[in-house]
Amino acid sequence: MEPQPAQSQHSGAPADLKGLSLLYVEDEAEPRGMVSKMLLLNYPNLTVYPAENGAAGLATFQKYLPEIVVTDINMPVMDGIQMSRAIKELRPDALIIAVTAHSDTSYLLNAIQIGIHYYVLKPINYDELFSALDKVLDQVALRQLVERQNRRISESERQLALAQRIAHLGSWQCELPGGLMTCSDEMYRILGLLPGGAQVRLERFLERMSPEDRALLQEELAAATANGQPLEALFCRVRREDGSERILKIEATVMPAAEHVPVTLVGTALDVTELKRAEEEVRSLTDALERRVLQRTSLLQASLQELEHFSYLVSHDLRAPIARLEGFCRALLEDCGECRSDNCRIYAERAVRVVRQIKSIIGAFNDLSHFTRCTMEIGEVDLSALARGISSDFQRTEPERSVEVRIAEGLVVQGDGRLLKIALEHLIGNAWKFTSKKLQASIEFGAQGHEGSPVYFVRDNGAGFDMKYVDKLFKPFQTIHSPGEFTWSGTAIGLATVHSIVLRHGGTIWAEGVVDKGATFFFTLASDPEPGSYYERTH
Amino acid sequence: MRDRLIVLVEDNADDAYLAMRVIGKVCADRVIVARDGEEASQLLQNMALDGMHRQVRLVLLDLKLPKLSGIEVLQAIRSSELLCGLPVAVLTSSDNDLDQERCRALGVIDYIYKPMTADRLQRVLVQDKEP
Repeated sequence: MEPQPAQSQHSGAPADLKGLSLLYVEDEAEPRGMVSKMLLLNYPNLTVYPAENGAAGLATFQKYLPEIVVTDINMPVMDGIQMSRAIKELRPDALIIAVTAHSDTSYLLNAIQIGIHYYVLKPINYDELFSALDKVLDQVALRQLVERQNRRISESERQLALAQRIAHLGSWQCELPGGLMTCSDEMYRILGLLPGGAQVRLERFLERMSPEDRALLQEELAAATANGQPLEALFCRVRREDGSERILKIEATVMPAAEHVPVTLVGTALDVTELKRAEEEVRSLTDALERRVLQRTSLLQASLQELEHFSYLVSHDLRAPIARLEGFCRALLEDCGECRSDNCRIYAERAVRVVRQIKSIIGAFNDLSHFTRCTMEIGEVDLSALARGISSDFQRTEPERSVEVRIAEGLVVQGDGRLLKIALEHLIGNAWKFTSKKLQASIEFGAQGHEGSPVYFVRDNGAGFDMKYVDKLFKPFQTIHSPGEFTWSGTAIGLATVHSIVLRHGGTIWAEGVVDKGATFFFTLASDPEPGSYYERTH
Repeated sequence: MRDRLIVLVEDNADDAYLAMRVIGKVCADRVIVARDGEEASQLLQNMALDGMHRQVRLVLLDLKLPKLSGIEVLQAIRSSELLCGLPVAVLTSSDNDLDQERCRALGVIDYIYKPMTADRLQRVLVQDKEP
């Protein structure tokens, strides 16, 4: 036996020996034990299975499927060549090192056929054996590397294919000229073809597009190629063989020609059929909604027109007969001086009062319809400042009254300043009027609720009202206090006016009250009330 | 001097009656009534032919009239060489600010809301005498 070589010669083997195993077949017991021991010493991570002849070796191989086989050739029972042939059938990638005597040369031709590529001469020189083994291990290392890379690549490919499938995104590339295309599996599926089917040419690809879209796509692709500019997203319909239609969003970029590579178009096709259908649905819903809005609007316009006719009737046509009636009442009153009956004079006087009442109702009606119809000019309105001005005006007119007025600061809104002032005048005016019998009157203007949509309120501790009448509050010409109970001014359109102004500002109004405890009027205003007037838009 | 005249242009019989009653209380002028705008316009032009228009002390003109409106009658008066100096007062129940503006622009001496009172007519007649 030759002395063993230095370990440094093979200690740097790149293969990861862990998990690798080696079958060593030798019929002579002494060298079998020696060589096995040397192998274990020099390759501590390698598992070595010794066997005493070809048959035993094959049995061991079948059991453990080692990657490497070191075998003697001339052996009893089954020789190394026979065993190697059987092993190669079981595992074609098994790496076999033959240990041969010069007399074994007659086997060599068979050995090459079988695929034994490494030889070590007998008697074994360890240097030679280890050098052959290192070469084999290099090969194993290379194989492991390739396998790992392959695994990585196929994992990436699997992920890419899966991602494309999930996203309904196909990718393709097309070599120009020639138009030979390479498509991803998903691209085939999108086109309604079997993945991995026949290679597609650009003309065939374009033929699958609907005729309306084909020309444009062709033009755009040609333009992109000519300019070297990317193709902007283009929507194309594809008709599949089963008759179904899909909508694709196609994008592409141009790769300039490089060594051995012609100009190539690289692109994607995203199946946006469902998205487009959803879009279509949204559009048709929107259309339906708009139609409905139009219908409602024209209904509204019709009733507004009726209302306007009615307003005109009240404000103009009624004026003439009322003036006439007033004229006759006066005539009656003047001529009654000559009449003896007292009743005549009383009736005439009463008739004059009735006429005055009719005129004031018409006036109020006209005012109310004015607030519904007038043009709104939207701007920033400081409600706090308006409320301060209004309440100090009331205080000036009745300085003898002691009223505690609290006004929250900084209540600024978007709206028509003139109209909002009128609304606050009515609300604060009501509070002022209905606290007139309280010794300790208090009026508060403020806001509650969160930032975005505040609820404004005017609160007083005055006469209040019974909640069962709450629905009557905002109707014109309806009062819930008897005449004379409070200074009855006007024609009971104050809250109806406020209601109309709040509505025109996109808000709502409601009230809470307790008899003799007070009332609170709440209102909201839209953050962006519409300027102008409905009448302007309909006439 | 011959009789002085007041021309009342009024389509409504009741209103005409009321106006004439008030005129009768204020003065003894003769009153000629025209029942629509066309009749009024015709009447005044005929008067101008024989110089009778010089006797007209006041035209009381309603605005809402059949055929020609009060404004049209007023325009006809102002565009006639002989009639353009006639004192015209509008007598109406309309509260249309625009009508009033247009009438003032056409030089009416007053704008009276119905029903007209004796005091109101008196003021108009006095005012007309002043210049």
